[in-house]
Amino acid sequence: MATLADSFLADLDELSDNEADVLEEENNDVANMEEDIDGDLADIETLNYDDLDSVSKLQKSQRYIDIMQKVEDALEKGSDISNQGLVLEDDPEYQLIVDCNGLSVDIENEIVIIHNFIRDKYRLKFPELESLVHHPIDYARVVKKIGNEMDLTLVDLEGLLPSAIIMVVSVTASTTSGKPLPEDVLQKTIDACDRALALDTAKKKVLDFVESRMGYIAPNLSTIVGSAVAAKLMGTAGGLSALAKMPACNVQLLGAKKKTLAGFSTATSQFRVGYIEQTEIFQTTPPALRSRACRLLASKATLAARIDSTRGDPLGNAGKTLKEEIHKKIEKWQEPPPAKQPKPLPVPDSEPKKKRGGRRLRKMKERYAITDMRKLANRMQFGVPEESSLGDGLGEGYGMLGQAGSGKLRVSIGQSKLAAKVAKKFKEKNYGSSGATSGLTSSLAFTPVQNRRGLAKVLV
Amino acid sequence: MSYLLPTLTRKKEVDTIIRDTIDKVLVLRFGRADDAVCLQLDDILAKTAREVSKFATVALVDVDSDDVQVYVKYFDITLIPSTIFFFNAHHMKMDSGTADHTKWVGAFHEKQDFIDVVEAIFRGAMKGKLIVNCPLPPERIPKYQLLYKDV
Repeated sequence: MATLADSFLADLDELSDNEADVLEEENNDVANMEEDIDGDLADIETLNYDDLDSVSKLQKSQRYIDIMQKVEDALEKGSDISNQGLVLEDDPEYQLIVDCNGLSVDIENEIVIIHNFIRDKYRLKFPELESLVHHPIDYARVVKKIGNEMDLTLVDLEGLLPSAIIMVVSVTASTTSGKPLPEDVLQKTIDACDRALALDTAKKKVLDFVESRMGYIAPNLSTIVGSAVAAKLMGTAGGLSALAKMPACNVQLLGAKKKTLAGFSTATSQFRVGYIEQTEIFQTTPPALRSRACRLLASKATLAARIDSTRGDPLGNAGKTLKEEIHKKIEKWQEPPPAKQPKPLPVPDSEPKKKRGGRRLRKMKERYAITDMRKLANRMQFGVPEESSLGDGLGEGYGMLGQAGSGKLRVSIGQSKLAAKVAKKFKEKNYGSSGATSGLTSSLAFTPVQNRRGLAKVLV
Repeated sequence: MSYLLPTLTRKKEVDTIIRDTIDKVLVLRFGRADDAVCLQLDDILAKTAREVSKFATVALVDVDSDDVQVYVKYFDITLIPSTIFFFNAHHMKMDSGTADHTKWVGAFHEKQDFIDVVEAIFRGAMKGKLIVNCPLPPERIPKYQLLYKDV
């Protein structure tokens, strides 16, 4: 490992997981590495692969060939329920399933690499296509169909893509800045597409096999979500134990597609849901409850996967109970709310009135508070008879008001707030409607100047 | 209508209900089931019985039964229907501008009228009064003529 290329390769390991890892695994040949790693290694995207084989080695690898062979055999043999021993792990079939899961993840990664390869090559011809078509297999199919064609009206993309995307692709192709590819580059690209499609079919085969064995491997999980979805989940997660280790929120998102925007708004974009969307339970719930159902399904599926990974319930009873639970919960959500009963009236005076406080209330109360004059009139001095209005004890008593020695020289009538307000209102009323005035004149014209100040304060 | 409210025919039943209604107004309607005005009153009582259930109980007494003639005589019930209010076994009187304060003669115009009357009785009773004023305006109070015997 003394060569420069190897030390650069060690750097690569830190940068990118899938590409470098797969390269590491499948490429035992150092010479190959030296061939294609040239120039700037710091940025992995600027790696020039000229040769497809140096990029994707999976199809040639022994492991791949072995497993595919076994899968074909097992598929031909049909489903034989082998009576498994006490420990599942010893069973060769289970081992095969585990390998299949690993392989399907590898195939995924491989497809991504090939997709990158095709994309790099095809960028010269049609750069915008990669942002319009996200899915690698669809992209490969479209590239294969278009080939070197410049005029997209001659190319029939029906069935490969949804019609809206076809339209967008055609429009973009007419204004694209790409040029036709040279023949050898085109050939390589087509080869890469073929390989991608082959890998895709292989993956499908593997998944079918896993699905057929699913009831035997993970009975509880398949009871809840169905064997197809269970197989897909296991495949994407990379094994039953990997699936069991995932938190439920991740399980919910396994297999979620990235949305192609194509200029459409995200306001109507749905919540993110992955393979769980294809389960029967999800499809039969009304759309309003779908997001809740998805979360519920994901959590129960995770529980079932955990039971299965430890072979806690080989017969699948736990799965059945969980499924029942799910059904019951969804039923409950759909129940109408309980009918509203008219409430009887509350007992009178049982709830004390809420008293308000604050500055406003205090100011309001001040207007009706007892004035100083009245306070003095209410009190009397000891041993001193009070004066009264009619004299001689008749009429209203004056109390301490106006008595010598009461400490006050004169009792002035402080400005009573209530009186002021009443006076203002009175003036407004009088001056507001004075005889034959036209509607255009305002009452302000008639109020004396000194009072306008007070009014101005109120108006401001 | 009136099958929703308990109908009392025996003296004992009337006794027990008066004794057992604690801290709630007891509304006893004396009447018969075939009288038109009585039916009107019963309808209103039945509809509001649940609404006032927190502070009132409503019951019907059949005035034709023999057992309760004691009460008919005691309360001097002559006009049908008559409604008598009790609170904690005290007989509550209400001054509604008519001649007889001890009972309410006739039906009510609306459910809300009945609720107002019961609430007034309740408030007065909680304060400790034995006679309360009627909150209804005079046009809402059914008028009747009392026939005095030998007066």
